[in-house]
Amino acid sequence: MNWRKVWIVARHEYLTNIRKPGFIIMTALVPALGLIALLVGAFLAPQARQIGESLASFFDTAGKRVGLVDHSGRFTPVLPEYQETLVVYEDEAAAEAAVRADEVQIVLVVAEDYMQTGRVTVLTRGSGFDAAVVEDSPSIRSFFIDHLLAGEVDPELRERVADPVELEVRMLTSGGESRGMSGGWGFVFSFLVPYFLALFLVMTIFTSSGYLLQGVAEEKESRVVEIIVSSVRPMELMAGKVLGLGALGLTQVLVWIGSVWGFSGGAVLMLAVSSAAMIPARVFVLAAVYYVLGFLLYALLMAGVGALGATMRESQQLAGLFSLFAMAPYMLSSFLFANPNMGLARALSYFPLTAPTMMMVRLPLADVPWIDVVVSMLVLVASIPAALWLGGKLFQMGLLIYGKRPTLREVWVILRGK
Amino acid sequence: MVIQVQDLSKRYGDVVAVDHLSFEVERGEVFGLLGPNGAGKTTTIRIMMDILQPDGGQVWVLGRSPGEAKEQVGYLPEERGLYRNLKVLETLVYLAQLKGVERGTARERAMALLEQVELADWAQRRVRDLSRGMQQRLQFVASLVHDPQVLILDEPFQGLDPVNVERIKHLILQLHREGKTVILSTHQMNLVEALCDRILLINRGRGVLYGHLKEIKKQYAPHAVRVRAPSLPPHIPGVVSAEPDDGAFFLSLAEDVSPRQVLKALLARDVEIEVFEVAPVPLEDIFVAVVSERGE
Repeated sequence: MNWRKVWIVARHEYLTNIRKPGFIIMTALVPALGLIALLVGAFLAPQARQIGESLASFFDTAGKRVGLVDHSGRFTPVLPEYQETLVVYEDEAAAEAAVRADEVQIVLVVAEDYMQTGRVTVLTRGSGFDAAVVEDSPSIRSFFIDHLLAGEVDPELRERVADPVELEVRMLTSGGESRGMSGGWGFVFSFLVPYFLALFLVMTIFTSSGYLLQGVAEEKESRVVEIIVSSVRPMELMAGKVLGLGALGLTQVLVWIGSVWGFSGGAVLMLAVSSAAMIPARVFVLAAVYYVLGFLLYALLMAGVGALGATMRESQQLAGLFSLFAMAPYMLSSFLFANPNMGLARALSYFPLTAPTMMMVRLPLADVPWIDVVVSMLVLVASIPAALWLGGKLFQMGLLIYGKRPTLREVWVILRGK
Repeated sequence: MVIQVQDLSKRYGDVVAVDHLSFEVERGEVFGLLGPNGAGKTTTIRIMMDILQPDGGQVWVLGRSPGEAKEQVGYLPEERGLYRNLKVLETLVYLAQLKGVERGTARERAMALLEQVELADWAQRRVRDLSRGMQQRLQFVASLVHDPQVLILDEPFQGLDPVNVERIKHLILQLHREGKTVILSTHQMNLVEALCDRILLINRGRGVLYGHLKEIKKQYAPHAVRVRAPSLPPHIPGVVSAEPDDGAFFLSLAEDVSPRQVLKALLARDVEIEVFEVAPVPLEDIFVAVVSERGE
């Protein structure tokens, strides 16, 4: 292997591809989306604040008040702490008039048989959304619970009944240590963020190995390849392409991270980092290793496959097969969320083509058995030389067969012989 | 000796492409590698360029293995093309760098060569903007940009108009004068006759004709003379037949008669001779004769 030539090829691939419109658009897409989100946010912020306030202010003295018609008699007189925010009406006609006059936003009408049925009617001029909010509002729940239990139990118990569970999740790992997370949402974030992070990385693997495929097919189609292989060994050419385009993929990831940082003033990144902070560092280190191994494996195979097709389109069709393998974890994601260590997931972690993405998805979701990490790494490390050999052979053979795709028999003969 | 090929064999599956082929190319000569389509020329060339590995036999280029000699050899493949979206100069510099030339040197050489083939004004244009003839010239230049000792040209005249054929021919002769070794593979026999010192004719993977062009032509020359004269007497001793041939006469001679004896006889009869020559044979005829004779 002549590394000087590898370097020349890598440099050439990097510099010619970074100027391609496709790469620039793809790379600019993330910052552009960020910019759009920022502009839309700035434009809609006043309205958004209004909506937010009206939703949050059912029992807020500053906001509009809520009316009450109590046919059951359980809720009148209103407890002192609610008197400021609640207007009591004698009957529905008066309440309706108040809603129409915009004195109150909604009116809760408690039925006579409330104790048996729990029936409460909401009068509103707004959308059904208001009613849905009422049903789910913690303040309204507390209002009902407080009045139902008033005088019967002590205030502390009353409060607990209104909000019985303050959730904290502790994941027990095989190592004995536990990791704490506050709240259910923190828990969800803790795997959603890495999940999408993994998805993004998989995307960069595919864009850059896609360029590799495209480049090889192009060199073949334009017949420049014979001149190239008369100067460089196919292995050197392939290595140069893999390194150059790997650097290109990395550039893309860095631009994305940089732009997210720039546009959001770090807020989005902080969110990602803070939720990511709940994940042990080893997950990140391992994910990075899987990223590199995954890229190498896919890029080498793509180079081989790219050389097989007679035209760019044919090469891309052949390469589609690999994407299917890589995307397998995403197709299984609903099962994976439920049980990241299920048998199929473990089996796919041992298979080289699915191992990188499967492990990148599984790692943040659960405490993956060490044996899975070790086996999948060994499988990958072992399959990269195999991919180098296989990709190299296909590459070498495919490069010089013009105008047609070799038959399976021809491929077999070449792979077996010299 | 610039190239030595010994007992070279290469097969693709059941097809034998090169069959125990041996030949040598000497320093500074223009060597013709000839043969019908599918004879094994391109396979032989690809092995000399280290693109393919032989199944048997050995090849030395400049006394080394093809892999080691790569950077001293320039190659214009039959199936050729260039990066369509790259600029002309950029393309040449990249190709030269792959042959081990420093970027600065590569730029200088590339510009000088572009000047020579009248493409200097196009150096910053993309390859796809060039006309076909320009692209062919550029490809030719691309095989020279690293200043190789040996140049292998596979069908360099294919698809060229007469003006560009002359240009390329001129360039090859110039390289020859500079002392470069050129291996030329082509179907255009008139150009082989004009350019080559020695030839190898391959058919079905085997060498069927090998040596100095002049000697081969002598060897295949018919036992005849070509005479241009206003008229010929009816019976000339030693002449078996006399056929008109393009404003002259083609005289086939009896086996034991030499051209000199015929000339003497003609002079003795006071024939007004304008031209007298031993009848030549076009290389094309030899090619066709040898290939169809052994072609089964």
